[in-house]
Amino acid sequence: MRTIKEPGSAHSGLSDWYWQRLSAVVLAVLLPLPFFLLVAVYSGSVDQQGLLDVLDHVASRVLHSVLILALIIHAYIGLKVILEDYVHVLGWRIPLIGTMLVMMSGFGIWWLALIWAWA
Amino acid sequence: MAEMIKLSIFRHDPDGDGKPFMQAFEVPLLQPGMKLLDALNYIKWELDGTLTYRRSCGEGVCGSDGLNINGVNGLACITPIEGLKQPIHVRPLPSMQVIRDLVVDMDHFFDQYRQVKPWLQSDSPLPEHERLQSPEDRERLNGSYECILCACCTTACPSWWWNGDRFLGPAALLQANRWIVDSRDEATGDRLDQVEDAFRLYRCHQIMNCMDACPKELNPTAAIGHIKRKLVSRKS
Repeated sequence: MRTIKEPGSAHSGLSDWYWQRLSAVVLAVLLPLPFFLLVAVYSGSVDQQGLLDVLDHVASRVLHSVLILALIIHAYIGLKVILEDYVHVLGWRIPLIGTMLVMMSGFGIWWLALIWAWA
Repeated sequence: MAEMIKLSIFRHDPDGDGKPFMQAFEVPLLQPGMKLLDALNYIKWELDGTLTYRRSCGEGVCGSDGLNINGVNGLACITPIEGLKQPIHVRPLPSMQVIRDLVVDMDHFFDQYRQVKPWLQSDSPLPEHERLQSPEDRERLNGSYECILCACCTTACPSWWWNGDRFLGPAALLQANRWIVDSRDEATGDRLDQVEDAFRLYRCHQIMNCMDACPKELNPTAAIGHIKRKLVSRKS
């Protein structure tokens, strides 16, 4: 018999679900932009100086930052849900999620630093 | 001579020493439109009386004979033999503990059903006659109340396979939504509280095996989506 003593609701999950969808919308809007830029560069309509001008523009930096944040939030929640699905031992699950969070945050901070030239 | 149907049926006797195995049977096609349950009955009554399975109404109403038929969950009593690839592989519902042959332990499934408190909850004084409902409000129950709790959907759900101890599964959540949308029920907030959980509700990843498996052609995925939207609208 698999019947378990029911611990009740943890009042969780809604924020993950919400942020995953919100970040997906942001990604759907912003992710094509770098590819358009890439196509423009390869087609020759934007040269190296033009590319640097676009990337240096404050609006580009803001959009780039939003894109990276959305990408990291989306990837983190997606991988967290996969770990929750398949890693059942708490002693593994929590450290794995924690490690992932630290690595992704570090990656995000590094990338933002590049965008805003803090490095 | 009647056309013969080939079946391969899961057998397991937990009291015996042997491991589970698939046993081959051949059954005559007794009449056009013959159902899988008719073939199982033929085996039980004519070939091997030890074959064990659940059945009751024989017409898709009681939900007793949910089985895995050629890899897809369904009710034996309303599944026509014609059109099934032979040999027809008949197994118990996936991820369930087998009691014997095709009979599985449904305790946990029904326990999860009880957890959504599938009954009307109301603090209002009892009306003199019945609790009235507009035709439009009654219409909202269509697609939920028809569930016969056969467990075909829940046992077809990979999320329930991996986390069935915590994820309530499509059948229970379809019923949770059935009471959330019922205009006569006054416990919507409590019901939403009870399912707002990363495991109880949000393990549903819209795989949609449930709507594929449902013999009553219901859509638990849509019901779960409705609960999620209610939770968002409560918070936003």
